[in-house]
Amino acid sequence: MSNYFYVAPEQLIKDRAEFAQKGIARGRSIVAAIYDVGVVMVAENPSASLNKISEIYDRIAFAGVGKYNEFDRLREAGIRWADGTGYTYSREDVDARALANFYAQHLGDMFTEGQKPLEVEILVAQLGNKFRPTKLYRVAYEGTISDETDFAVLGGDAETIKGRFADLEVGRLTLAQTLKNAVSALAGPDRQLPVGDLEVGVLEDRGDRRTFARLDDEQIARLLA
Amino acid sequence: MGLPLFDAQSDPGPSFVRFAELAGLTTTPHHTELSAHATTVVAVRYDGGVVMVADRQATSYYVANRDVRKIEAADRYTALAISGSAARGLEFIRLAQLSFEHYEKMTDSALSLEGKANYLSPLVQRNNLTSTLVVLPLLAGWDLAHQRGRVFEYDGAGGCYERQDFAVIGSGSPFADSTLRLGFTPDMSREDALALAALAIYEAADNDPSTGGPDFVRDIFPMLVTLTSEGFRELDQETASATFRAINDRRSASRGVAGGTLR
Repeated sequence: MSNYFYVAPEQLIKDRAEFAQKGIARGRSIVAAIYDVGVVMVAENPSASLNKISEIYDRIAFAGVGKYNEFDRLREAGIRWADGTGYTYSREDVDARALANFYAQHLGDMFTEGQKPLEVEILVAQLGNKFRPTKLYRVAYEGTISDETDFAVLGGDAETIKGRFADLEVGRLTLAQTLKNAVSALAGPDRQLPVGDLEVGVLEDRGDRRTFARLDDEQIARLLA
Repeated sequence: MGLPLFDAQSDPGPSFVRFAELAGLTTTPHHTELSAHATTVVAVRYDGGVVMVADRQATSYYVANRDVRKIEAADRYTALAISGSAARGLEFIRLAQLSFEHYEKMTDSALSLEGKANYLSPLVQRNNLTSTLVVLPLLAGWDLAHQRGRVFEYDGAGGCYERQDFAVIGSGSPFADSTLRLGFTPDMSREDALALAALAIYEAADNDPSTGGPDFVRDIFPMLVTLTSEGFRELDQETASATFRAINDRRSASRGVAGGTLR
Protein backbone atom coordinates (compact mmCIF):
# COMPACT_ATOMS: atom_id res chain seq x y z
CA MET A 1 0.00 0.00 0.00
CA SER A 2 1.38 3.34 -0.95
CA ASN A 3 1.38 6.23 1.41
CA TYR A 4 -0.16 9.61 0.55
CA PHE A 5 1.25 12.52 2.45
CA TYR A 6 -0.94 15.46 3.25
CA VAL A 7 0.12 18.69 1.59
CA ALA A 8 -1.64 21.86 2.65
CA PRO A 9 -3.32 23.64 -0.32
CA GLU A 10 -1.42 26.83 0.54
CA GLN A 11 1.86 24.95 0.22
CA LEU A 12 0.78 23.29 -3.03
CA ILE A 13 -0.15 26.59 -4.66
CA LYS A 14 3.04 28.21 -3.42
CA ASP A 15 5.18 25.39 -4.84
CA ARG A 16 3.41 25.51 -8.19
CA ALA A 17 3.70 29.29 -8.40
CA GLU A 18 7.41 29.14 -7.60
CA PHE A 19 7.92 26.47 -10.24
CA ALA A 20 6.17 28.54 -12.91
CA GLN A 21 7.93 31.78 -11.94
CA LYS A 22 11.32 30.10 -12.14
CA GLY A 23 10.58 28.82 -15.63
CA ILE A 24 9.39 32.23 -16.83
CA ALA A 25 12.34 34.07 -15.23
CA ARG A 26 14.78 32.03 -17.34
CA GLY A 27 13.61 33.71 -20.57
CA ARG A 28 14.00 37.27 -21.84
CA SER A 29 11.28 39.89 -21.42
CA ILE A 30 8.81 41.66 -23.72
CA VAL A 31 7.55 45.23 -23.61
CA ALA A 32 4.22 46.06 -25.28
CA ALA A 33 2.99 49.64 -25.44
CA ILE A 34 0.27 51.73 -27.01
CA TYR A 35 1.69 54.61 -29.07
CA ASP A 36 -0.15 57.50 -30.74
CA VAL A 37 -1.63 55.45 -33.61
CA GLY A 38 -1.01 51.81 -32.77
CA VAL A 39 0.43 49.13 -30.55
CA VAL A 40 4.08 48.05 -30.55
CA MET A 41 5.50 44.86 -29.05
CA VAL A 42 9.25 44.56 -28.49
CA ALA A 43 10.99 41.33 -27.50
CA GLU A 44 14.59 40.51 -26.84
CA ASN A 45 14.94 37.48 -29.07
CA PRO A 46 18.20 36.43 -30.75
CA SER A 47 16.34 33.88 -32.91
CA ALA A 48 14.96 35.21 -36.19
CA SER A 49 12.59 32.29 -36.72
CA LEU A 50 11.31 31.20 -33.30
CA ASN A 51 8.98 34.11 -32.78
CA LYS A 52 7.57 35.41 -29.53
CA ILE A 53 5.27 37.94 -31.21
CA SER A 54 2.77 37.08 -33.89
CA GLU A 55 -0.45 37.89 -35.69
CA ILE A 56 -3.71 36.36 -34.46
CA TYR A 57 -6.31 38.25 -36.47
CA ASP A 58 -6.98 41.46 -38.37
CA ARG A 59 -6.53 43.68 -35.30
CA ILE A 60 -5.21 41.23 -32.70
CA ALA A 61 -1.64 40.22 -31.90
CA PHE A 62 -0.09 37.75 -29.49
CA ALA A 63 3.11 37.83 -27.45
CA GLY A 64 4.43 35.16 -25.14
CA VAL A 65 7.37 34.59 -22.81
CA GLY A 66 8.56 31.47 -21.02
CA LYS A 67 8.66 28.01 -22.53
CA TYR A 68 8.50 28.31 -26.30
CA ASN A 69 6.58 25.08 -26.99
CA GLU A 70 3.95 25.99 -24.42
CA PHE A 71 3.18 29.53 -25.58
CA ASP A 72 3.45 28.59 -29.25
CA ARG A 73 0.68 26.03 -28.71
CA LEU A 74 -1.44 28.79 -27.18
CA ARG A 75 -0.65 31.05 -30.14
CA GLU A 76 -1.84 28.36 -32.58
CA ALA A 77 -5.01 27.78 -30.56
CA GLY A 78 -5.63 31.55 -30.63
CA ILE A 79 -5.33 31.74 -34.43
CA ARG A 80 -7.67 28.76 -34.78
CA TRP A 81 -10.16 30.26 -32.39
CA ALA A 82 -10.09 33.64 -34.18
CA ASP A 83 -10.33 32.22 -37.73
CA GLY A 84 -13.04 29.79 -36.61
CA THR A 85 -15.10 32.51 -34.93
CA GLY A 86 -14.73 34.88 -37.88
CA TYR A 87 -15.71 32.11 -40.32
CA THR A 88 -18.78 31.11 -38.28
CA TYR A 89 -20.02 34.63 -37.54
CA SER A 90 -18.29 37.69 -38.97
CA ARG A 91 -14.79 39.16 -38.91
CA GLU A 92 -16.19 41.97 -36.72
CA ASP A 93 -17.16 39.48 -34.02
CA VAL A 94 -13.61 38.42 -33.21
CA ASP A 95 -12.78 40.13 -29.94
CA ALA A 96 -9.51 40.10 -27.99
CA ARG A 97 -11.27 40.10 -24.63
CA ALA A 98 -13.02 36.81 -25.37
CA LEU A 99 -9.73 35.27 -26.45
CA ALA A 100 -7.89 36.58 -23.38
CA ASN A 101 -10.61 35.04 -21.21
CA PHE A 102 -10.17 31.66 -22.86
CA TYR A 103 -6.43 31.85 -22.31
CA ALA A 104 -7.02 32.80 -18.67
CA GLN A 105 -9.36 29.85 -18.17
CA HIS A 106 -6.94 27.43 -19.75
CA LEU A 107 -3.92 28.70 -17.81
CA GLY A 108 -5.99 28.65 -14.60
CA ASP A 109 -7.06 25.07 -15.23
CA MET A 110 -3.52 23.96 -15.96
CA PHE A 111 -2.28 25.70 -12.82
CA THR A 112 -4.71 23.95 -10.47
CA GLU A 113 -5.42 20.67 -12.25
CA GLY A 114 -2.59 20.06 -14.68
CA GLN A 115 0.43 17.82 -14.16
CA LYS A 116 2.40 21.03 -13.93
CA PRO A 117 1.51 24.68 -14.46
CA LEU A 118 2.42 26.20 -17.83
CA GLU A 119 5.61 28.24 -17.56
CA VAL A 120 4.33 31.09 -19.70
CA GLU A 121 3.02 34.60 -19.52
CA ILE A 122 1.14 35.94 -22.51
CA LEU A 123 -0.26 39.14 -23.92
CA VAL A 124 -3.22 39.67 -26.23
CA ALA A 125 -3.14 43.10 -27.87
CA GLN A 126 -6.01 44.64 -29.78
CA LEU A 127 -5.88 47.69 -32.04
CA GLY A 128 -9.06 49.67 -31.52
CA ASN A 129 -11.49 51.05 -34.06
CA LYS A 130 -14.83 52.80 -33.75
CA PHE A 131 -16.42 49.64 -32.30
CA ARG A 132 -13.69 48.48 -29.91
CA PRO A 133 -11.02 50.08 -27.74
CA THR A 134 -7.27 49.55 -28.06
CA LYS A 135 -6.42 47.02 -25.35
CA LEU A 136 -3.54 45.11 -23.80
CA TYR A 137 -4.58 42.00 -21.87
CA ARG A 138 -1.83 40.30 -19.88
CA VAL A 139 -2.50 36.75 -18.75
CA ALA A 140 -0.20 35.28 -16.08
CA TYR A 141 0.79 31.61 -15.61
CA GLU A 142 -1.93 31.01 -13.00
CA GLY A 143 -4.69 32.54 -15.12
CA THR A 144 -4.78 36.04 -13.67
CA ILE A 145 -5.90 38.41 -16.40
CA SER A 146 -5.09 42.08 -16.24
CA ASP A 147 -6.19 44.89 -18.48
CA GLU A 148 -3.14 47.15 -18.84
CA THR A 149 -3.90 50.75 -19.68
CA ASP A 150 -0.80 52.05 -21.46
CA PHE A 151 1.85 49.37 -21.52
CA ALA A 152 2.66 45.87 -20.26
CA VAL A 153 5.87 44.06 -19.47
CA LEU A 154 6.09 40.27 -19.55
CA GLY A 155 8.84 38.04 -18.24
CA GLY A 156 11.04 37.44 -15.23
CA ASP A 157 12.49 40.89 -14.83
CA ALA A 158 9.14 42.60 -15.38
CA GLU A 159 9.08 44.88 -12.32
CA THR A 160 12.50 46.45 -13.00
CA ILE A 161 11.81 46.93 -16.71
CA LYS A 162 8.37 48.30 -15.93
CA GLY A 163 9.92 50.95 -13.66
CA ARG A 164 12.47 51.96 -16.30
CA PHE A 165 9.88 52.15 -19.07
CA ALA A 166 7.38 54.13 -16.96
CA ASP A 167 10.05 56.77 -16.34
CA LEU A 168 10.70 57.21 -20.05
CA GLU A 169 7.25 56.83 -21.61
CA VAL A 170 5.17 59.88 -20.78
CA GLY A 171 1.82 60.04 -22.60
CA ARG A 172 1.23 58.68 -26.09
CA LEU A 173 4.38 59.09 -28.16
CA THR A 174 5.33 58.23 -31.74
CA LEU A 175 6.32 54.71 -32.81
CA ALA A 176 10.00 55.66 -33.06
CA GLN A 177 10.08 57.22 -29.58
CA THR A 178 8.12 54.38 -27.97
CA LEU A 179 10.39 51.80 -29.61
CA LYS A 180 13.49 53.65 -28.36
CA ASN A 181 12.07 53.73 -24.82
CA ALA A 182 11.13 50.05 -24.94
CA VAL A 183 14.58 49.03 -26.15
CA SER A 184 16.39 51.06 -23.51
CA ALA A 185 14.06 49.73 -20.79
CA LEU A 186 14.76 46.15 -21.94
CA ALA A 187 18.51 46.75 -22.11
CA GLY A 188 18.92 48.54 -18.79
CA PRO A 189 21.69 51.01 -17.93
CA ASP A 190 24.73 48.76 -18.54
CA ARG A 191 23.83 47.04 -21.77
CA GLN A 192 23.27 47.80 -25.46
CA LEU A 193 20.86 45.58 -27.40
CA PRO A 194 21.95 44.94 -31.00
CA VAL A 195 19.20 45.30 -33.63
CA GLY A 196 19.63 41.63 -34.55
CA ASP A 197 18.51 40.63 -31.06
CA LEU A 198 15.22 42.51 -31.30
CA GLU A 199 11.89 41.18 -32.47
CA VAL A 200 9.33 43.90 -33.12
CA GLY A 201 5.69 43.61 -34.14
CA VAL A 202 3.20 46.44 -34.58
CA LEU A 203 -0.54 46.80 -35.00
CA GLU A 204 -1.31 49.92 -37.03
CA ASP A 205 -3.90 50.97 -39.61
CA ARG A 206 -2.40 51.20 -43.10
CA GLY A 207 -5.64 50.97 -45.04
CA ASP A 208 -5.54 47.15 -45.19
CA ARG A 209 -7.81 44.73 -43.35
CA ARG A 210 -4.82 43.13 -41.62
CA THR A 211 -3.03 45.56 -39.32
CA PHE A 212 -0.19 43.40 -37.99
CA ALA A 213 3.32 43.90 -39.33
CA ARG A 214 6.67 42.50 -38.36
CA LEU A 215 9.51 45.03 -38.59
CA ASP A 216 12.75 43.80 -40.17
CA ASP A 217 16.22 44.77 -38.91
CA GLU A 218 16.50 47.62 -41.39
CA GLN A 219 13.16 49.15 -40.34
CA ILE A 220 14.05 48.79 -36.65
CA ALA A 221 17.47 50.40 -37.18
CA ARG A 222 15.85 53.31 -39.03
CA LEU A 223 13.34 53.89 -36.21
CA LEU A 224 16.03 53.69 -33.53
CA ALA A 225 18.38 56.07 -35.36
CA MET B 1 -16.53 27.87 -29.26
CA GLY B 2 -13.92 27.06 -26.61
CA LEU B 3 -10.16 27.41 -27.04
CA PRO B 4 -9.28 24.84 -29.74
CA LEU B 5 -6.29 23.03 -28.23
CA PHE B 6 -5.19 19.71 -29.73
CA ASP B 7 -2.66 17.14 -28.61
CA ALA B 8 0.24 16.34 -30.90
CA GLN B 9 -1.50 13.33 -32.52
CA SER B 10 -4.80 14.97 -33.42
CA ASP B 11 -3.38 18.42 -34.25
CA PRO B 12 -4.76 19.60 -37.61
CA GLY B 13 -1.63 21.65 -38.39
CA PRO B 14 -1.91 24.82 -40.44
CA SER B 15 -4.80 23.56 -42.60
CA PHE B 16 -7.94 25.55 -41.83
CA VAL B 17 -10.16 23.02 -43.60
CA ARG B 18 -8.94 20.11 -41.47
CA PHE B 19 -9.39 22.20 -38.36
CA ALA B 20 -12.88 23.30 -39.44
CA GLU B 21 -13.87 19.68 -40.01
CA LEU B 22 -12.54 18.58 -36.62
CA ALA B 23 -14.34 21.47 -34.94
CA GLY B 24 -17.57 20.82 -36.84
CA LEU B 25 -17.63 24.25 -38.49
CA THR B 26 -18.26 22.98 -42.03
CA THR B 27 -21.57 21.49 -43.13
CA THR B 28 -22.05 18.51 -45.43
CA PRO B 29 -23.72 19.45 -48.69
CA HIS B 30 -27.35 18.36 -49.27
CA HIS B 31 -28.82 17.10 -52.51
CA THR B 32 -31.82 19.37 -52.64
CA GLU B 33 -32.44 22.09 -55.16
CA LEU B 34 -30.32 23.71 -57.79
CA SER B 35 -29.40 27.25 -56.92
CA ALA B 36 -28.37 30.02 -59.26
CA HIS B 37 -25.33 29.30 -61.40
CA ALA B 38 -23.85 29.67 -64.89
CA THR B 39 -21.03 31.97 -65.65
CA THR B 40 -18.14 32.75 -67.93
CA VAL B 41 -14.72 33.62 -66.55
CA VAL B 42 -11.50 33.80 -68.56
CA ALA B 43 -7.87 34.14 -67.50
CA VAL B 44 -5.21 35.04 -70.07
CA ARG B 45 -1.44 34.99 -69.49
CA TYR B 46 0.79 37.67 -70.90
CA ASP B 47 4.39 38.69 -70.30
CA GLY B 48 3.75 40.79 -67.22
CA GLY B 49 1.22 38.51 -65.51
CA VAL B 50 -2.38 37.43 -65.96
CA VAL B 51 -5.59 39.27 -66.86
CA MET B 52 -8.99 37.95 -65.82
CA VAL B 53 -12.48 38.94 -66.94
CA ALA B 54 -15.75 37.63 -65.51
CA ASP B 55 -19.42 38.29 -66.25
CA ARG B 56 -21.64 39.46 -63.39
CA GLN B 57 -24.86 37.52 -63.83
CA ALA B 58 -26.27 34.75 -61.60
CA THR B 59 -28.89 32.68 -63.39
CA SER B 60 -31.40 30.07 -62.28
CA TYR B 61 -34.59 29.84 -64.40
CA TYR B 62 -34.45 33.61 -64.56
CA VAL B 63 -31.82 36.25 -63.85
CA ALA B 64 -31.23 35.96 -60.11
CA ASN B 65 -28.60 38.65 -59.66
CA ARG B 66 -26.96 41.16 -61.99
CA ASP B 67 -23.91 42.25 -60.04
CA VAL B 68 -22.26 39.13 -58.64
CA ARG B 69 -18.50 39.29 -58.09
CA LYS B 70 -17.14 36.04 -59.46
CA ILE B 71 -13.46 36.94 -59.06
CA GLU B 72 -12.08 37.66 -55.61
CA ALA B 73 -8.59 38.27 -54.31
CA ALA B 74 -7.64 35.10 -52.45
CA ASP B 75 -4.68 37.04 -51.09
CA ARG B 76 -2.46 39.89 -52.28
CA TYR B 77 -1.04 38.01 -55.29
CA THR B 78 -3.76 35.47 -56.05
CA ALA B 79 -7.21 35.62 -57.60
CA LEU B 80 -9.86 32.96 -57.34
CA ALA B 81 -12.84 32.78 -59.71
CA ILE B 82 -15.78 30.40 -59.52
CA SER B 83 -18.37 28.91 -61.82
CA GLY B 84 -21.27 26.62 -60.97
CA SER B 85 -23.50 26.86 -57.93
CA ALA B 86 -23.33 30.43 -56.60
CA ALA B 87 -24.02 29.46 -53.00
CA ARG B 88 -21.30 26.81 -52.90
CA GLY B 89 -18.97 28.91 -55.03
CA LEU B 90 -19.02 31.95 -52.77
CA GLU B 91 -18.52 29.65 -49.79
CA PHE B 92 -15.63 28.04 -51.66
CA ILE B 93 -13.95 31.43 -52.12
CA ARG B 94 -14.42 32.27 -48.43
CA LEU B 95 -12.92 28.97 -47.34
CA ALA B 96 -9.97 29.30 -49.73
CA GLN B 97 -9.21 32.90 -48.68
CA LEU B 98 -9.32 31.93 -45.03
CA SER B 99 -7.23 28.80 -45.60
CA PHE B 100 -4.38 30.73 -47.24
CA GLU B 101 -4.38 33.37 -44.50
CA HIS B 102 -4.66 30.73 -41.77
CA TYR B 103 -1.64 28.88 -43.14
CA GLU B 104 0.34 32.10 -43.32
CA LYS B 105 -0.41 33.04 -39.72
CA MET B 106 0.17 29.55 -38.32
CA THR B 107 3.52 29.01 -40.02
CA ASP B 108 4.65 32.62 -40.48
CA SER B 109 5.25 32.02 -44.20
CA ALA B 110 2.92 32.27 -47.17
CA LEU B 111 2.00 29.22 -49.27
CA SER B 112 3.61 29.03 -52.70
CA LEU B 113 1.26 29.60 -55.65
CA GLU B 114 1.51 25.92 -56.57
CA GLY B 115 0.80 25.02 -52.95
CA LYS B 116 -2.40 27.08 -53.09
CA ALA B 117 -3.42 25.46 -56.38
CA ASN B 118 -2.90 21.95 -55.00
CA TYR B 119 -4.67 22.78 -51.74
CA LEU B 120 -7.88 23.48 -53.70
CA SER B 121 -7.92 20.06 -55.44
CA PRO B 122 -9.39 18.03 -52.56
CA LEU B 123 -11.86 20.83 -51.82
CA VAL B 124 -13.18 20.68 -55.40
CA GLN B 125 -13.22 16.89 -55.26
CA ARG B 126 -15.06 16.74 -51.94
CA ASN B 127 -17.66 19.25 -53.04
CA ASN B 128 -18.33 17.83 -56.47
CA LEU B 129 -18.39 14.16 -55.58
CA THR B 130 -20.79 14.66 -52.66
CA SER B 131 -23.14 17.27 -54.10
CA THR B 132 -25.12 18.09 -57.21
CA LEU B 133 -24.19 21.71 -56.59
CA VAL B 134 -21.04 21.57 -58.66
CA VAL B 135 -18.35 24.24 -58.32
CA LEU B 136 -15.36 24.72 -60.61
CA PRO B 137 -12.75 27.27 -59.60
CA LEU B 138 -10.05 29.02 -61.58
CA LEU B 139 -6.91 30.12 -59.77
CA ALA B 140 -4.53 32.70 -61.18
CA GLY B 141 -1.75 34.61 -59.57
CA TRP B 142 1.66 36.17 -59.65
CA ASP B 143 4.23 33.59 -58.54
CA LEU B 144 6.66 35.51 -56.33
CA ALA B 145 9.25 32.73 -56.33
CA HIS B 146 9.31 32.32 -60.13
CA GLN B 147 8.42 35.91 -61.03
CA ARG B 148 5.69 35.16 -63.55
CA GLY B 149 1.93 34.95 -63.83
CA ARG B 150 0.42 31.45 -63.63
CA VAL B 151 -3.04 30.03 -64.32
CA PHE B 152 -4.51 26.80 -62.89
CA GLU B 153 -7.78 25.18 -63.93
CA TYR B 154 -9.65 22.22 -62.41
CA ASP B 155 -11.82 19.41 -63.67
CA GLY B 156 -14.94 18.20 -61.86
CA ALA B 157 -13.08 15.49 -59.97
CA GLY B 158 -10.59 17.95 -58.53
CA GLY B 159 -7.76 17.46 -61.01
CA CYS B 160 -5.57 20.58 -61.19
CA TYR B 161 -3.94 21.59 -64.46
CA GLU B 162 -1.61 24.47 -65.14
CA ARG B 163 -2.26 26.34 -68.39
CA GLN B 164 0.47 28.13 -70.30
CA ASP B 165 -1.86 30.27 -72.45
CA PHE B 166 -5.37 30.82 -71.11
CA ALA B 167 -8.17 29.12 -69.19
CA VAL B 168 -11.95 29.40 -69.34
CA ILE B 169 -14.69 28.23 -66.97
CA GLY B 170 -18.50 28.38 -67.03
CA SER B 171 -21.43 27.72 -69.32
CA GLY B 172 -20.24 30.25 -71.92
CA SER B 173 -16.89 28.45 -72.25
CA PRO B 174 -17.23 27.21 -75.87
CA PHE B 175 -17.66 30.77 -77.20
CA ALA B 176 -15.06 32.37 -74.95
CA ASP B 177 -12.62 29.54 -75.62
CA SER B 178 -13.00 29.85 -79.41
CA THR B 179 -12.40 33.60 -79.25
CA LEU B 180 -9.26 33.16 -77.14
CA ARG B 181 -8.03 30.29 -79.28
CA LEU B 182 -8.16 32.45 -82.41
CA GLY B 183 -6.90 35.65 -80.82
CA PHE B 184 -4.19 34.47 -78.42
CA THR B 185 -0.54 35.17 -79.18
CA PRO B 186 2.29 34.61 -76.69
CA ASP B 187 3.68 38.15 -77.03
CA MET B 188 0.60 40.15 -76.05
CA SER B 189 0.81 43.36 -74.04
CA ARG B 190 -1.40 43.89 -71.01
CA GLU B 191 -3.77 46.02 -73.11
CA ASP B 192 -3.99 43.37 -75.85
CA ALA B 193 -4.65 40.65 -73.29
CA LEU B 194 -7.37 42.71 -71.59
CA ALA B 195 -9.03 43.55 -74.92
CA LEU B 196 -8.99 39.90 -75.99
CA ALA B 197 -10.29 38.61 -72.65
CA ALA B 198 -13.09 41.21 -72.69
CA LEU B 199 -14.01 40.21 -76.24
CA ALA B 200 -14.17 36.55 -75.15
CA ILE B 201 -16.68 37.47 -72.44
CA TYR B 202 -18.63 39.62 -74.93
CA GLU B 203 -18.90 36.66 -77.33
CA ALA B 204 -19.91 34.30 -74.50
CA ALA B 205 -22.61 36.73 -73.34
CA ASP B 206 -23.81 37.15 -76.91
CA ASN B 207 -24.34 33.39 -77.37
CA ASP B 208 -24.92 31.92 -73.92
CA PRO B 209 -28.20 33.02 -72.24
CA SER B 210 -26.72 32.28 -68.79
CA THR B 211 -23.81 34.68 -69.19
CA GLY B 212 -24.42 38.37 -68.64
CA GLY B 213 -22.88 40.89 -71.01
CA PRO B 214 -22.20 44.57 -70.45
CA ASP B 215 -25.35 46.15 -69.01
CA PHE B 216 -25.48 49.68 -70.48
CA VAL B 217 -28.87 50.34 -68.89
CA ARG B 218 -27.72 49.76 -65.31
CA ASP B 219 -24.04 50.57 -65.90
CA ILE B 220 -22.93 47.14 -64.75
CA PHE B 221 -19.91 45.74 -66.59
CA PRO B 222 -17.92 42.51 -66.38
CA MET B 223 -15.08 42.57 -63.84
CA LEU B 224 -11.57 43.21 -65.18
CA VAL B 225 -8.69 42.08 -62.97
CA THR B 226 -4.91 42.08 -63.46
CA LEU B 227 -2.32 40.05 -61.53
CA THR B 228 1.19 41.41 -61.81
CA SER B 229 4.30 41.79 -59.66
CA GLU B 230 2.27 44.53 -57.97
CA GLY B 231 -0.39 42.01 -56.96
CA PHE B 232 -4.13 41.77 -57.47
CA ARG B 233 -5.78 44.83 -59.04
CA GLU B 234 -9.39 45.27 -60.02
CA LEU B 235 -9.78 47.85 -62.79
CA ASP B 236 -12.39 50.54 -62.15
CA GLN B 237 -15.84 50.62 -63.72
CA GLU B 238 -14.87 53.48 -66.10
CA THR B 239 -12.19 51.29 -67.69
CA ALA B 240 -14.58 48.34 -67.89
CA SER B 241 -17.25 50.58 -69.38
CA ALA B 242 -14.88 52.04 -71.99
CA THR B 243 -13.56 48.58 -72.94
CA PHE B 244 -17.02 47.13 -73.52
CA ARG B 245 -18.43 50.23 -75.18
CA ALA B 246 -15.63 50.04 -77.74
CA ILE B 247 -16.43 46.40 -78.54
CA ASN B 248 -20.14 47.16 -78.65
CA ASP B 249 -19.69 50.16 -80.99
CA ARG B 250 -17.66 48.09 -83.44
CA ARG B 251 -20.22 45.31 -83.32
CA SER B 252 -23.11 47.77 -83.79
CA ALA B 253 -21.34 49.35 -86.78
CA SER B 254 -21.10 45.95 -88.47
CA ARG B 255 -24.71 45.14 -87.48
CA GLY B 256 -23.71 42.26 -85.23
CA VAL B 257 -21.35 40.59 -87.66
CA ALA B 258 -17.95 39.76 -86.18
CA GLY B 259 -16.73 40.06 -89.75
CA GLY B 260 -14.02 37.41 -89.68
CA THR B 261 -11.69 39.51 -87.55
CA LEU B 262 -11.27 39.61 -83.84
CA ARG B 263 -11.47 43.37 -83.71
